[in-house]
Amino acid sequence: MVAGLDGDGAAHGQLLAALGGYLRAHFRRKLGAGSADVEDLVQETLIAIHVKRAVYDRAQPFTPWAYAIARYKLLDHYRRTGARRQVPLDEVGDLFAEENPEEGAVRRDVDKLLSRLPARQQRLMRDVKLAGFSMEEAAERSGMSVSAAKVSVHRGMKRLESEVGDEDR
Amino acid sequence: MKTADLISALAADTAPVKPVRVTTRLAAACLAGALATGVVLTAWLGLRPLGEAVQTSAFWMKAGYTLALALAGFLLVSRLARPGGRPGRVLTIVLLAVAVMAGLSAIELMRAGPGAMRPLMMGQSASVCSLRILALSIPAYFGAIFVLRRLAPTRLALTGAAAGLLAGGVGASVYGLYCGETAATFVVIWYTLGITASTALGALIGSRLLRW
Repeated sequence: MVAGLDGDGAAHGQLLAALGGYLRAHFRRKLGAGSADVEDLVQETLIAIHVKRAVYDRAQPFTPWAYAIARYKLLDHYRRTGARRQVPLDEVGDLFAEENPEEGAVRRDVDKLLSRLPARQQRLMRDVKLAGFSMEEAAERSGMSVSAAKVSVHRGMKRLESEVGDEDR
Repeated sequence: MKTADLISALAADTAPVKPVRVTTRLAAACLAGALATGVVLTAWLGLRPLGEAVQTSAFWMKAGYTLALALAGFLLVSRLARPGGRPGRVLTIVLLAVAVMAGLSAIELMRAGPGAMRPLMMGQSASVCSLRILALSIPAYFGAIFVLRRLAPTRLALTGAAAGLLAGGVGASVYGLYCGETAATFVVIWYTLGITASTALGALIGSRLLRW
């Protein structure tokens, strides 16, 4: 992104092409794969990112910035078509979610964050929050009682939230 | 148009861009808005004798309150001007300012006793104060909107509300150059009402004006 801001057209093109892939997957998930609006939204978002690139603050992370524009364009689309109103705010990770093969960056962030927790808690949280086990199953896998597992997951989330929060500031 | 073609077209058009300085632009707009409001006020109502006024604590109490709210609005607008911007902890400034003012008013009312409450609340100009502040907030509001339309806010109603708070704070600060009310109770009721109205209208209008 920064190279593109300084006038490097090739780097900018690569960025937009990569983003196009993410955005297509993202909007497909929101609108349904067959929707004719998906490609329009991809293009609109890319244009917006291009036109507004001077508004990007180089000190800030790029992913939330691009996601916010994608979300805005999606809301704009809903407003025009009058279909659906609410898009939850807390889906930042969603843009780069599992089904996309190129989702390395966010996955790495999650791993890095989780690695700050003790091993047992880490495994428990992976099972419950990422792998989709129920609390009971996860507790059994870790050899804990269900209530202990609940407490542990809850504390883990709190701690991650506070650490992420600190970085935001 | 194919997306791949679009991307190469966009990539071909990559003039280097300077990062925008949100706070500089916004500060310039505020200053221009405040000056315009000052001119409007002078022509409409005139100023009060400021030489005496600046020696009273009431003048600075009002100015401190309205400028604190304007500052909070300024910080909110500059955060929300970029995609993904969040209000963060700026809202505490607003709460703090209102709380301090309400505290001053409570002390004032207790000292005055039950008989003197009404003049402290209504002053001489209760019926017009809030509306005048709302009217005087218009120049700064459109100044902020002008700047924001060249940026990229993604939460339009919230950004509009922040612009309304900023403009209400500026408008009320300028109005303080005319208004001779000295009671904290009056200020916390009628000034706050005027700025709240400006914030609410700002949200309402902003969600339309700020689309991009």
